[in-house]
Amino acid sequence: MKSYYPIRLLTLLALLLGPAALAQTANVSGTVTDADTSEPLPGVNIRVQATQVGTITGVDGQYELALPAGNRTLVFTFVGYRTQEVEVPSGQATLNVQMREDLLGLDEVVVTGLASSVKRQNLANSVETISARELSGTTTNQTLDGALSGKITGGVISSYTGAPGGGISVKLRGINTINGESQPLFVVDGVIASNASIQNGINAVTQAAAGGNASSQDNPVNRIADLNPEDIESIEILKGSSAAAIYGSRASNGVVIITTKKGQAGSGLGVSFSQSLGFTTLAKKLGSPDYTLDQALSIYAPDAADDATPDEIEAAQAQKDFVTNLFNTNGKIDLEDQLYGNKGVLSTTNLSVSGGSERTQFYLSGQVKDDGGIIENTGYEKQSIRANVAHRISRIVNMDITTNYVRSEARRGITGNDNTGTSYGVALAFTPNFVDLTPDAEGNYPDNPFNSSNPLQTRDLSDIGETTNRFITSGRVGLDIYQTETQGLKLVAEAGADFFDLESNLYFPEILQFEPGDGQAGTAVLGKTANLNYNWRGSLVHSYSLPESEVFFTTQGGFTGANEDRNTQVTVAQGLIGGQQNVDQANSVNTNQTRLFRQDRALYVQEEINWADRVIGTVGVRGDRSSLNGEPDKYYAFPKASLALNVAEFDFWTVSQVDQFKLRAAYGETGNTAPFGSRYTTFGPLAISGITGITINPQRGFADVTPERAREIEGGVDVSALDGKVNVELTGYVKTITDLLLTRQVPASTGFNFETFNGGELRNVGFEAGLTLLPVNNARFRWTSRTSFWTNSAEVTRLDVPAFAALGGGFGATLGLIQIEEGKSPTQIVGIDDTNGDGEADGTFALGDASPDFQMSFYNDFQFAKRLTLTVFGHWKKGGDNINLSELLTDLGGTSPDYFDDDDGDGVNNATERVNALGVSARQFVQDASYFKLRELGLYYDIPTEYLGSAVGQTVRQLRLGFSANNLFTITPYKSYDPEVNNFADQPVASGVEVTPFPTSRSFLFHVSVGL
Amino acid sequence: MLNTMMNFLLTTRRGVATLLLAALVAAPGCDLFEPNNPVDPNGPSLDGILLDATQSQIANLAVGTEAQARVDLNIYFNDVSVIGREYWRFSSADPRLTGDLLGKSTSILDNNSFYTTRPWAARYAAVRNACTMLQALDVTTADLSDAEKAAARGFANTWIAYELLMNSNLTHENGIRIDVCPLDQVAPFVTGRRAVLDRLAQMLDDADGLLGQNAGGDFFFPTSINVDGATDDSGIDDFRQFNRAIAARIDAYRQDWQGVLDALGGSFINEGGSLTAGAYHLFSTGGGDLTNPVFLNPQNSAGDAIIVHPSFISDAEEGDTRVAEKAALRVNADGTPNPASLDDLSGSYGFAVYDSPTAPIPIIRNAELILLRAEANIQLGNLDTAVADLNRIRSAAGLDDYSGDVSQGALIDELLYQRRYELYGEGHRWIDARRYGRLGTLPIDRPEDDVWTQFPIPANENV
Repeated sequence: MKSYYPIRLLTLLALLLGPAALAQTANVSGTVTDADTSEPLPGVNIRVQATQVGTITGVDGQYELALPAGNRTLVFTFVGYRTQEVEVPSGQATLNVQMREDLLGLDEVVVTGLASSVKRQNLANSVETISARELSGTTTNQTLDGALSGKITGGVISSYTGAPGGGISVKLRGINTINGESQPLFVVDGVIASNASIQNGINAVTQAAAGGNASSQDNPVNRIADLNPEDIESIEILKGSSAAAIYGSRASNGVVIITTKKGQAGSGLGVSFSQSLGFTTLAKKLGSPDYTLDQALSIYAPDAADDATPDEIEAAQAQKDFVTNLFNTNGKIDLEDQLYGNKGVLSTTNLSVSGGSERTQFYLSGQVKDDGGIIENTGYEKQSIRANVAHRISRIVNMDITTNYVRSEARRGITGNDNTGTSYGVALAFTPNFVDLTPDAEGNYPDNPFNSSNPLQTRDLSDIGETTNRFITSGRVGLDIYQTETQGLKLVAEAGADFFDLESNLYFPEILQFEPGDGQAGTAVLGKTANLNYNWRGSLVHSYSLPESEVFFTTQGGFTGANEDRNTQVTVAQGLIGGQQNVDQANSVNTNQTRLFRQDRALYVQEEINWADRVIGTVGVRGDRSSLNGEPDKYYAFPKASLALNVAEFDFWTVSQVDQFKLRAAYGETGNTAPFGSRYTTFGPLAISGITGITINPQRGFADVTPERAREIEGGVDVSALDGKVNVELTGYVKTITDLLLTRQVPASTGFNFETFNGGELRNVGFEAGLTLLPVNNARFRWTSRTSFWTNSAEVTRLDVPAFAALGGGFGATLGLIQIEEGKSPTQIVGIDDTNGDGEADGTFALGDASPDFQMSFYNDFQFAKRLTLTVFGHWKKGGDNINLSELLTDLGGTSPDYFDDDDGDGVNNATERVNALGVSARQFVQDASYFKLRELGLYYDIPTEYLGSAVGQTVRQLRLGFSANNLFTITPYKSYDPEVNNFADQPVASGVEVTPFPTSRSFLFHVSVGL
Repeated sequence: MLNTMMNFLLTTRRGVATLLLAALVAAPGCDLFEPNNPVDPNGPSLDGILLDATQSQIANLAVGTEAQARVDLNIYFNDVSVIGREYWRFSSADPRLTGDLLGKSTSILDNNSFYTTRPWAARYAAVRNACTMLQALDVTTADLSDAEKAAARGFANTWIAYELLMNSNLTHENGIRIDVCPLDQVAPFVTGRRAVLDRLAQMLDDADGLLGQNAGGDFFFPTSINVDGATDDSGIDDFRQFNRAIAARIDAYRQDWQGVLDALGGSFINEGGSLTAGAYHLFSTGGGDLTNPVFLNPQNSAGDAIIVHPSFISDAEEGDTRVAEKAALRVNADGTPNPASLDDLSGSYGFAVYDSPTAPIPIIRNAELILLRAEANIQLGNLDTAVADLNRIRSAAGLDDYSGDVSQGALIDELLYQRRYELYGEGHRWIDARRYGRLGTLPIDRPEDDVWTQFPIPANENV
């Protein structure tokens, strides 16, 4: 133990402890009720203004409190309700209060420090909060990441696959890194939760990485998908560096703080059961051409060349006969429907029990999900149980424990890019619709004469699954060390762990058409990953109030540490013994193991000063060290400062219609540590003829690597008017990232392909606007509405290297790629082009940009007579281009639906024109990926419990029936299944490269929920 | 007692503080506040080897160099064989193999596409391995004699020269970087095929001298080069013969015909021996090994297949047994022909040079040496000597002795025919056609196709 001082600090403080006597003068008591229902509200927090004196209401909503001398103003706060300040009239000992529901979230509390929170009203940053209602109240999303789509103002959230189990890329406030970690930090109840995307090893069959782009293209699930959205109370998103600075060197991509549900003090036992049942279907069909026989022959049985040998002429004739026979026998078969036309059944069952006394609260839940996919033999299953317990051990000690076990299983098939013709989509692209791929009566599948695999055979006979067992737990102990009327000192100690074990089991039996291709029939892949994240934190929070001047000081400081250990093993077995799936039953076995370690340690302090909710200022700094840095012992400091000015709280403010007028500004810095291994130049094993040697890896390590640093300044105005019915939030920001972790290609003649170094600068400028309305709110009809608008523009302001292709940004200039270039948007798409019209490529030119111009989201909730609720959530993305290579494959395979159309009327059909442009221009692949999606629609009816008869009615608190739809429709000019796609999954910069993806589905669900 | 203690611990401030402190102190290890400084868990580090390599690490590097020399060879062979119109590489997933490589319509060879960048990088990675071996030999304190070290240097330099030759074959007059061993420096470009070949020839000669310092001995590591087929697999003399064979090839490329004959004198040439004796890249299905990346079942469906260029069948001399050996007629299960078509190309034969995923790929073999000798003799005017060597090749292919015109021109035609058929699919035809100015004679399959002379320098070289 080298560093003692945090402990010394604690010891010192512990010695200072002494019994605190509270001067008490008068008592006040009363009942707090809901203004609408008049039901008593247990668990309401009551505090004497400008002091540390407070209590909470009991089961019956009653409270009793000793008022200190000279201060008779009480502040009533309760989650989900508007905060109220009420002065107890002098001499009065009883005060009953009615609280109103906070429909628009005006009074919610937002986490700003590692151990403190602040009212949204006093916040100097734009922090997004997604409530349980917005997250999972409209429809049942398969995964948590899916439930976030479109809901984060300032975020580009893009699903990269339609496959069951999800897969999403989250980029907050623009492009924050070029080669580093690009996912936000996910913190679940204080635990840093892994969102790793781990490749399942299917590359052994697809060989996708063997061609133009060596990046993994295994279509991985990101692990945050494991969380059960129903368990989540709220999600706070610290989008930029100014808000996230206190998370230091892991926060450059923002921080997503997930809080799970707790029981409520004194609320009694609540049981809630819900069942949703529905189905999922292909959202959009692309179709295939209506060939004439001549057209079919022109593509699939070309004439023999003029100088053909007799053998060749014979072969050409045989092919003609073959195609003619197929064409006449089979007619037009809907292969797309055979492959993607499954109606997958979706079923989700949730049961939760919650409750609590004043001392102990608990929340228990279980979920069972079993979803089918639009491709047979694909699907997603999940079982999750959770137990959250909070207990007040004594007057001064409280503790929380959360535990969550999840088992999930995803079966995602083979989709996306390949180099072996095995992916379903590639196979479909090369199979004309007069080929019958279905099995005969004995179950034998015909070989596909036009492609190396029969996708129906691959789908039906392969076994492609990944199973995760995951355990997330956290514990927190709070101790009120010291408390007087004006001061309080709290110690908070927290620790948590997130462990998952992921096993991918892939099996391709030897009878598959493509299996003999490499001479080793039958492939099995066994991938195993064990990942452990654990972190801990100790914080001291001191609060001090000056009652006369109404100034509050909140001082906090502490230390935190986080470790990550990952161990991945992938074994690929080829040449399987017939019918055997174990990897040892094979002719050749290859195993790969990769380990990853990370150790982060940090110290932080933060000071917050609040003058009567008028002026709120915060300063703080965090010092981070990490084993991933070149110098693990060096501290990197990440400061922050912010100021919020609640103009409407000043006495001079006389506009009574405006309740809040806040000006705010914030500055902060965050970091992004280099990916594990950037420091090292390493040899890997490679055997030759049974003797193992070592060969240099393509990466030249960078021993002095430092974290990237993001600096953000954010300013904004928040206005709340007409008694909270109209709320406007406007935010602008400039975020500059320096010391970018660039992986530059080095001349391959050095023996290396790339190296990591710190250099360059990237700037994001953005604007976010939110309009929240409560236009109508009465007993018969209530309408709440939230409309968001956001835009971000990024530029590479300095790049110390020549322009280079972004990771996973495409397959070369011929097909279009995303290129990092100084002075340009980091997401610009470049490609070869014929600028002078001579039919030859004239070089590489900018052809588009993957980033959207702007996005908007529309959330509307209509409630009729407090019984019938209609919720509609729409999302509009304007601009942003994709690189669509699916069309190229269908053109080459002769299966594009518009193959024989001639849009420009020049006598050359579309597909031929596009194929001829290959090698001349990449422009045809760069396609507008704008869309409007009606992402969620829900209609629910609460059956009045009095209709249920007295016996049932007394037990049943709530009975709700509903219908919902997910991804109901999409309006887009994009020429494929879905503009939200990426063959390379989540990448730091690149997105929208499409190669025959798993098509997006649409789902419809019926819901029943019962509350007891 | 226990109750009192629990009460103290949980209900008094001092107690809880004590408990929390105890928990902190008892927390595992000393790393609560200090991050550690880990070594790479995933493999040996370059820094360690350059500091002081052990004998076994140097041996690992030697084996690794030969292992790395096989990486992405399929891309190399696709490049030279497709442009040389020996076969087509059909791939529904990557149209560039039948597009860019054949110069379809207006396509050109791209300097940033995999067919340019990947074989180039893989060869230089092998060179880096060999360079690391040279540097490790300089600093190692392992118990190795000077002669052992010299031979190991000769081994490394031979491989460096060979790997550089492979890249020069692609970029031709565009040149390559040669002095690449110093770490983190970009070596100057040597342009011009002749200038490159001269340097490589010199490098091989120097390596031969180093190998000679331990003549008759064994390397302290195993090598896959085993030109005499004997069981001994680390003989230095064997490796020297390989060095001389490559030197002979380079001399032929630079038209130093006497040099060819001199170098062949030190090689494993043996007109009475098996034509397939020689140096090979070896493959196995063992763990961590590679399988032959050029092998594909000749009957594979058209979406992923190597299809013999029809001219290989139609240009063959009557009775040439090599056609049937190297090309397999594609048939359906019922025996009917199953030609493959893709991208306006169609062929009836699958590539059958390799019969299994563990078939070795020749680096240089006896047949080529005999043909090199024939070529040198033709060029030097020793026509009858050349005909004898050509007849050796012809008879092995089931052909009668050469009966054509015994003139230099006619014999060059015959030589190129024999090289084309004997060394089919082994990466020679394009280079041969190029050095004899005959690229224009290669067949054009589609009206607007092109025959490329050379590859561009990969974009990442920033030339």
